[in-house]
Amino acid sequence: MKHYTIEEAKEIIKGYKGPHIRIMEVCGTHTHEIFKLGIRSLLPENIELISGPGCPVCVTPVGYIDEAVMLALEKNAVICTFGDLIRVPGTKMSLADARRQGGDIRMVYSPMDALELAKAEPEKEIVFLAVGFETTTPVICLSVKHAIRDGVKNYSILTANKTMPNAYMALKDSADAFLYPGHVNAITGEAVCREMLEKYGVSGVIAGFTPEELMDAIAVIIVGLESGKPFFENCYKRVVSEEGNVKAVETINEIMEPVDTEWRGLGIIPKSGLRLRDGFADYDARKRYALPNIKGVPNPACRCGDVLQGKCKPSDCKVFGKGCTPQHPVGACMVSDEGACSAYYQYGGTY
Amino acid sequence: MENEVVTLAHGAGGKQTSELIKKVFAKHFSNPEFTADDAAVLSLGDGKIAMSTDGFIVSPFEFKGGNIGKLSICGTVNDLACMGAKPEYMTCAFVIEEGFPLAKLEEIADAMEKTAAKVGVKIVAGDTKVAGKGQVDKVFITTTGVGRIIPGVKTSGALAKPGDCVIVTGDIGRHGCTILLARENLGIDADVTSDCAPLWDAVKAMTDATHDIHVIRDATRGGVGTVLYEIAAESNVGVELDSANIPVEGAVSGVCGMLGLDPLYLANEGTMVVIAPESEKDRILDALHKTDHTKKAAVIGKITEEMPGKVVLTTKIGTKSMLPEPGGELLPRIC
Amino acid sequence: MCVGLAAKVVGLKDGVALVDASGAKREVSAELIEDLLPGDYVMVHAGLVIAKIKMKETDEKK
Repeated sequence: MKHYTIEEAKEIIKGYKGPHIRIMEVCGTHTHEIFKLGIRSLLPENIELISGPGCPVCVTPVGYIDEAVMLALEKNAVICTFGDLIRVPGTKMSLADARRQGGDIRMVYSPMDALELAKAEPEKEIVFLAVGFETTTPVICLSVKHAIRDGVKNYSILTANKTMPNAYMALKDSADAFLYPGHVNAITGEAVCREMLEKYGVSGVIAGFTPEELMDAIAVIIVGLESGKPFFENCYKRVVSEEGNVKAVETINEIMEPVDTEWRGLGIIPKSGLRLRDGFADYDARKRYALPNIKGVPNPACRCGDVLQGKCKPSDCKVFGKGCTPQHPVGACMVSDEGACSAYYQYGGTY
Repeated sequence: MENEVVTLAHGAGGKQTSELIKKVFAKHFSNPEFTADDAAVLSLGDGKIAMSTDGFIVSPFEFKGGNIGKLSICGTVNDLACMGAKPEYMTCAFVIEEGFPLAKLEEIADAMEKTAAKVGVKIVAGDTKVAGKGQVDKVFITTTGVGRIIPGVKTSGALAKPGDCVIVTGDIGRHGCTILLARENLGIDADVTSDCAPLWDAVKAMTDATHDIHVIRDATRGGVGTVLYEIAAESNVGVELDSANIPVEGAVSGVCGMLGLDPLYLANEGTMVVIAPESEKDRILDALHKTDHTKKAAVIGKITEEMPGKVVLTTKIGTKSMLPEPGGELLPRIC
Repeated sequence: MCVGLAAKVVGLKDGVALVDASGAKREVSAELIEDLLPGDYVMVHAGLVIAKIKMKETDEKK
């Protein structure tokens, strides 16, 4: 397939005259960049960009936050987390609220830093909030491997890791083509996308994150859809190889196993989550602290689920911009900068 | 002084209090108007004066490029300077945690002395309180300053007009980045130094070149993005920025890249936003480029009639994108 | 979903790489990448090198 410069891509996007098409950007960082670059302002009415479920914060269920809050406030654990998760509302409170009530919540750049903290403060119990997709899971698994290797006993993880293939299956009728998440594919390679094409006739391209790469990927999708034939193209060859990062995939499989899991707003998707294998139960915060089965209760007015499936725009939700803003989020899609609602709110409907 | 620390007795108002003042503060702040009385008696002459006060609680209290003492002088000096006022007199109030090392207090006072001397502002009165262990975080300083407004200069956040140019006086985000790296244990090593500096020189140079300046504001907490949103609201105008022209030091953008942050929201302590008619642009830039601390001044955008109250960026692909309104805690974004 | 950072490898020891992104340096795990050498450009996510970046000759200059 041919590739395009920014100027060529702009012409292709603006000049599109065909039937209505829906492109789903799966990755939250793509959502963020698309807004930041003002790409939506280029789109004619017949091209729709749908922000899919690729922001781990947005798809993390309410009950997970409740578990983390319980660990912090009732089990006296030190919670280490990516900054993104701190303001996500739980049933009663967010981790930021728990911190105000005296919970020890620390922001880390990497799970490896959480492990280092466990070594530095052996009298404390450290729990890392393990969210993320195939890109983030390998380093989380490595932190568990290192904990075993170094005999660290006060480190565990609360898993909510997710995998994309079955989410694609669940969402394949919501869009005409996927803008695949380049950094997930850096780990998993091209095979999943090829299978979507060959088995199910689902089109898509693997996209990078620079303005050049994103514009090229969108143009390739439009030209591809115009051709009428299902297609797949890797537009991020600079980083994504055909086979991906085999060692990273092996590391995931060594430490974790697939499990049915809840996606906030989407419900349970079979085998789309990961949990620690039985051999690593000591490092599983749920088992270590014998957490009860917590069923979180999301705010009923929140339509994050419909937004994630492209069934409605953020502005169609009753609480959007009123009860629900980035400062006071109701749903997870408003919390993360990558969330569709947050991006929509912050960058405005027009730009 | 090596091993001495501040004790509650230092704050009790008796002999030890006056000793502390003599030993640390009077030594550094001494000038003819410096007073042991309840208030300093000052002469300000004719014309308008500006007055401002600000509290400083930075943690850590020492950072690359300064300490809380330097910061407490710069903060108030810059607030006065932004109103076109020459800082004349300052007062300072300390709240010190019991157990704080005297040697560190001396370093703080020394930084205050040097910074004040550079500006030519006199510290004329002060107050010292000592709080019990854990009641404050090491040392808090509040400074108040008065200054004489240069006749003919009138600046305000409400005076930006469509067609004006928007200037920043230096590369942005260094103070916020320095503090973030020092405070959070993020394992990132970057050669970033706080921009903490007094900016009276720069304001003097600009106002010597032209009195036709509409807004001067120091882009402290919340950064340039927050300040521009304030000005857009106060003046009821739009702000259009050209993202390619915003000066950011390499290491600051590297740190921001790692953590998913935008330098437009990181604090500055020695960088101002200046808004003035297009006709004055070259005079102002020339003046800034000849002054210490503002050599990297650059035009980053313009004031428009469209989208009043909003800040819009021209992107790398030539489209326009709204700068998200700032708010909430800055949280690094990883996934 | 996954903020990636392109950075240059400036040091390597025992599976840990020191990477430099425009002057911001950090140690990250390089255990899951084969044949990494100082000078290589890599994509980093949450403290892990997830991939080596294939450079075009023109990229080297920037």
